Amino acid sequence: MRLGNALKLACFGLWANKFRVLSAMMGIVIGLFAVIVLIAIAVGVKDTLLKQMGSLGAEQILVMPGRVLDSANGQKDFLSGITSVPSTLTYEDAKAVEAVPNVKSVIPQLETVSKAVYEEQNVQAVLVGSTHQYSRVQHADLAEGRFFTEEEQQSKKNVIVLGSNIHDALLGKAAEPQSGSTGIPAPQEKTWWQRALDSLMAGTVVSAEEKTLVGQKLTIGEKEYTVIGVLKPNATLGSSTDNNVIMPIETALANTDMKYLNKMIVEANSTEVIDEVDGAVFSAIKQNHKEIDFSVVKQDQMLGAIDNVTVILQVMLLGITAVALFISGTGIMNVMVMSVRERTREIGIRKAIGATTFEIMAQFFFETLLLCVIGGLFGTGLGYAFIELWNQYIEAFTLTLPLWAIQLALGSTVVIGGLFGIYPALKAARMKPSHALRFE
Amino acid sequence: MITLRRVQKAFQTGSSRQDILHSVDLRIDPGEYVAIMGKSGSGKSTLLNILGALDSADSGEYILAGKPVHKMRQSKRTALRNTEIGFVFQQFQLIPNLSVYQNVLLPLTYGRKKLGRKKARVLQLLEEVGLADKKKQKPSRLSGGEKQRAAIARALVNEPSILLADEPTGSLDEATTETILQLFDRVHQQGTTIVVITHDQEVADRAQRVIHLKDGALA
Ligand SMILES: Nc1ncnc2c1ncn2[C@@H]1O[C@H](COP(=O)(O)OP(=O)(O)O)[C@@H](O)[C@H]1O
Ligand SMILES: [Mg+2]
Repeated sequence: MRLGNALKLACFGLWANKFRVLSAMMGIVIGLFAVIVLIAIAVGVKDTLLKQMGSLGAEQILVMPGRVLDSANGQKDFLSGITSVPSTLTYEDAKAVEAVPNVKSVIPQLETVSKAVYEEQNVQAVLVGSTHQYSRVQHADLAEGRFFTEEEQQSKKNVIVLGSNIHDALLGKAAEPQSGSTGIPAPQEKTWWQRALDSLMAGTVVSAEEKTLVGQKLTIGEKEYTVIGVLKPNATLGSSTDNNVIMPIETALANTDMKYLNKMIVEANSTEVIDEVDGAVFSAIKQNHKEIDFSVVKQDQMLGAIDNVTVILQVMLLGITAVALFISGTGIMNVMVMSVRERTREIGIRKAIGATTFEIMAQFFFETLLLCVIGGLFGTGLGYAFIELWNQYIEAFTLTLPLWAIQLALGSTVVIGGLFGIYPALKAARMKPSHALRFE
Repeated sequence: MITLRRVQKAFQTGSSRQDILHSVDLRIDPGEYVAIMGKSGSGKSTLLNILGALDSADSGEYILAGKPVHKMRQSKRTALRNTEIGFVFQQFQLIPNLSVYQNVLLPLTYGRKKLGRKKARVLQLLEEVGLADKKKQKPSRLSGGEKQRAAIARALVNEPSILLADEPTGSLDEATTETILQLFDRVHQQGTTIVVITHDQEVADRAQRVIHLKDGALA
């Protein structure tokens, strides 16, 4: 009951001094705003990294050429520890893995760069040989047509599915046909503001007459292929399918000189068996290899690697957060100490007419606490609004605001308010009423 | 009944020690109206602060209604101030950021007394001191006399048995002084003990008894 009363008095106190309160709050508003936005940036970076490194499901295992070295703390070091050796993984390895118990499916991938020709247009493309399950594990949805079937794969049909950039380039829709050396159209070449502009203009651009290559024939290295599908744009840096031309792996092995897999995704029946499948896959491939020149990676190891990358970011963030909150906390404390001094007579009066030491302490403590929490709410709200606006207009980089960030922000304002509220509250409570009333 | 026995009070300022009250003996009956006069700096406010349990004597006894105030802990004194004593000061001592209504309500919000219908009580008092139409004003918008009437309303809101006034008319002109004195008369008639410090003979004349403070003792 007493506390409720003190809280009410604190509200009155704040309201009565609202202009001072407002200026004191600025610090904490800005502090919290910064914290919220920084967290969103950090999480955004992490999310982007996750997407770029290919989203490996919890029941998936990635087999890749080269050996990932173990770092000092026993974790696999993906940043610097991958030995770059030419791949020695073969389709036979994939077949061997398929026979491992609890393996649901194996999606091997061959990759090379090759020139695709359609009428006058020609374009450099990443030629991928894989299975009919490729589109599912690569999260590559179809814009038109269909993906090839298992049957077409087994019977080595000359069918291909085009990435969106390749499709556009061959139709002459892209800015310039990539008839040159490097020639892979990269969406990342546009700066963020160009893309922001593009997205704003998108509605006004008169779209060229809708043509499609589905059903048409392309030439890739002497051989002719029928286009059966086109993928939707898939704009993640590392594993984008936009510049790919995908054909059945059997066809690729027969028609091209591709021989070694650049990766293989293995799906286990369930996450429970992932550890034993991981070991069994390793053994199965090792049987075909003289030395260990390949790596088997699970999701948690992948996530661990990404966590390592973001750890520096998080430490930095923590530092900035702590400093920002400390500064705004001391700012609030100063204002409150000043407020207590200015209100010395008020405190004297309150004590004279029956406020206890505890009630005075609680009032000023709650004033500081409320000040911080209200400022924190404003700062968090502002940060949230900023992130929403950013994400609406700037597509280059998505800011992600996790719920824990909001909880952390509001939690820390309570802690800050509590911590920095103690001193002014004690100062107020310790005043002798007879002295305080004489204060000029 | 108020009883002071051999009350002493000194203030230490820096290295010098100032004896303000040497040996004060005082009895005030319930319902009595007493004026204290004396030169500026003679210790009148110090004495009143001791009577109001705002300050404590260095030695001596203070018995209020049979209870030894000089032995009370801080929390007891606080409760005593809230329930038994009303204060009126020369400088009014209203809280500038609170409205007249909120100022008068304040003792009730810290109240230990269970007074029913606090709001009605405050409004009734504001009516009695003639400030009903100013209840939403901030103190800075009031005249001196109005401020003091608001302060008196605040002092009376908890129905104290003693009203202590430290030069309540010291900042007011003659006409306003008269309205304050009439208010005091009314409060006195309702049975409240009044102790008023004053320089003004006219104020002292309204009291039943005048005490002079000189050289740290009463005469
Ligand atoms: N809290 C205090 N600290 C130091 N000196 C004080 C204090 N309160 C009063 N005094 C001194 O005690 C003397 C008497 O003060 P006061 O009781 O206010 O006198 P009066 O009200 O009669 O004018 C003054 O000299 C004053 O300076
Ligand atoms: Mg005085």
